[in-house]
Amino acid sequence: MADAPPPETAVVGPSSAPDDVLRVEHIAKRFGPVTALKDVNLHLKKGEVLGLLGDNGAGKSTLIKILCGFQKPDSGKMFLHGKPFEPKSVDDARDAGIETVYQDLALIDELSVYHNLFLRKERVHRPIPLLSNRQMKREARTALDEIGINIPRIDVAVARLSGGQRQAIAVARTVNSDADIILLDEPLAAMGAKEGAMILDLVARLKDEGRVSIIMILHNYVHVLQACDRVSMIQDGAIALDKPTAETSVEELTDIVVNEYRRARMEAHEAEAAAPPASA
Amino acid sequence: MASAAQSPATSGPSTGSGGETQHRSLPGGGEVLTRLIALREGSIIVVTLITAIYFAANTSSFFTGANFETLLPYFAPFAILAAGEVFVMILGEIDLSIGALYLFAPILFYKLYSSAGLGLVPGVIVTLLVCMAVGALNGFFVAIVEINSFVTTLATLFCFEGLALIVSHGTPVATPGAAVHTTEVAVNHVINGHTITLHEKVNHIGTFAKIFGGGTYSELIWAVAIVLILQVVLTFTRWGLYTVAIGSNKLGASEAGVQVKLVMIRNYVLCALTAALVGLFEAVRSGTVQPDPAGANEILFLAVAAGVIGGTLLTGGSGTIVGALIGALFLGVLEDGLVLQGVNANYKLFYLGLAIIVAMTANVYVGRVRRGHAGSG
Repeated sequence: MADAPPPETAVVGPSSAPDDVLRVEHIAKRFGPVTALKDVNLHLKKGEVLGLLGDNGAGKSTLIKILCGFQKPDSGKMFLHGKPFEPKSVDDARDAGIETVYQDLALIDELSVYHNLFLRKERVHRPIPLLSNRQMKREARTALDEIGINIPRIDVAVARLSGGQRQAIAVARTVNSDADIILLDEPLAAMGAKEGAMILDLVARLKDEGRVSIIMILHNYVHVLQACDRVSMIQDGAIALDKPTAETSVEELTDIVVNEYRRARMEAHEAEAAAPPASA
Repeated sequence: MASAAQSPATSGPSTGSGGETQHRSLPGGGEVLTRLIALREGSIIVVTLITAIYFAANTSSFFTGANFETLLPYFAPFAILAAGEVFVMILGEIDLSIGALYLFAPILFYKLYSSAGLGLVPGVIVTLLVCMAVGALNGFFVAIVEINSFVTTLATLFCFEGLALIVSHGTPVATPGAAVHTTEVAVNHVINGHTITLHEKVNHIGTFAKIFGGGTYSELIWAVAIVLILQVVLTFTRWGLYTVAIGSNKLGASEAGVQVKLVMIRNYVLCALTAALVGLFEAVRSGTVQPDPAGANEILFLAVAAGVIGGTLLTGGSGTIVGALIGALFLGVLEDGLVLQGVNANYKLFYLGLAIIVAMTANVYVGRVRRGHAGSG
């Protein structure tokens, strides 16, 4: 693999498949002087699990936040089930069927497990809209049992749970919804091996059901190859690689990242050498 | 206590960490105490009871009906103010402008009545609406412009206390609708078989005044009603759930789709409304609209103190309206008790400060016991 030609920083152009549920074309996003995304093209097929890779600061989380309506892109187009998709808010994207589990875990520490599961989807009594805690608790228990997550007590504040249990609840919150696209931002962060396996099993089960499509940000390449159908790698605000996991390997993925790092260092070095020496 | 602890359906967001206890056996004496403390409001209930028992043991007149009536104005207004303030404090914010609206509302009401010719009830309604708009302005600057809430509401505190002085020219006036009418009635007394008719003077206040703070129990009834309604809102509605969510994890709540800015503005409007109501009640009760910013500032601080003593965190994410009512009761018992004990007026504030420190220390200590108990369940 050392003999492999150093891949140039390619930019994957727009591509699509007939059964795409989500397509993203030429998305760009800047935060003041920082360009988070330059030109991102991405597509997601029905029932597919897409692994999103990239180094820290490559723009993975920004892309997720744009897809789920939390931030607006500066330019570019998105299509949901072939129709133009411009979410104005998280609620908007959620109504369209996109649910997200964030890296910073949008769980509310002070609220109970079931209130967290039902946040923004609360069950209320009629006609006076008081919270129906009993119904939420019952449904939460059923939902957690169905997806095989074992939380002994669902009326304690989530602050008391372990990192893995919290992540599991965050995932359960999206699975519990009517979403057909689920975005998972580093679902295995802060997790022990056993808890990580629980989440990967959950993803595998969802894949078998084939009802939802999943985009998952991961850092561990072994996990990517194990859990995903296809992998897209973001580098420098653009997609540098897009391949089915069956056609790639941990080595190839590692090489791309390492070569990019070497190339960037070389450029920095050359720029330094070309610059006139600073006067004493 | 046992049923409250065993039916988690009644534990909403505000009592979430109280949680369900796993003990199902009949509680003994010690267990009742532990369970009481396990309530968020438990520690302040214990502290208030001890304070009341202390004064009852040391003064002869503490546990009397007359003293209860004296006690009312010491605590009912603070309970209402604190109820609104707690909604802002749970967000992790503060509203200092309640002092100004407390002062400004009756002055505006007087102007609307005397200069604009509005009736009593329309005057009250317009006053409340204007004050709610000021609350919305606070919320706008805190939630949308994102100025620190302490700074924002300090500014509106100064502005509206200043405006109160400008509009009133610093002169006290009689509160409209609170005039006391005196009528003479003939009362027959039978003494030693002889009937003697004496003309006695009886004071009346109008129905408006009776309802809006003038009646003996008027403010107490308002306080209890407002506290109960707002506690239900906090514990059993989406509004309350979102308020706790924002105070606990603002970004998380926002990512989950909670309309953070809208909820924040709404809470500031609510807080302004309670401040304006109390301002009107107190003006009607005393019969005078007194443009006294120093007094208003003291009331602001006591209201915040009532909320904090009652178990609401200044850092947000957790709070209780009923606790604030008991916190206000604690302050009232303390103030009233010190007066009954004949403590020199100059010492009163000093003792008040001392008592708050002692009560809060007890609160923290008891709170640790509470969390330990809840954690073991």
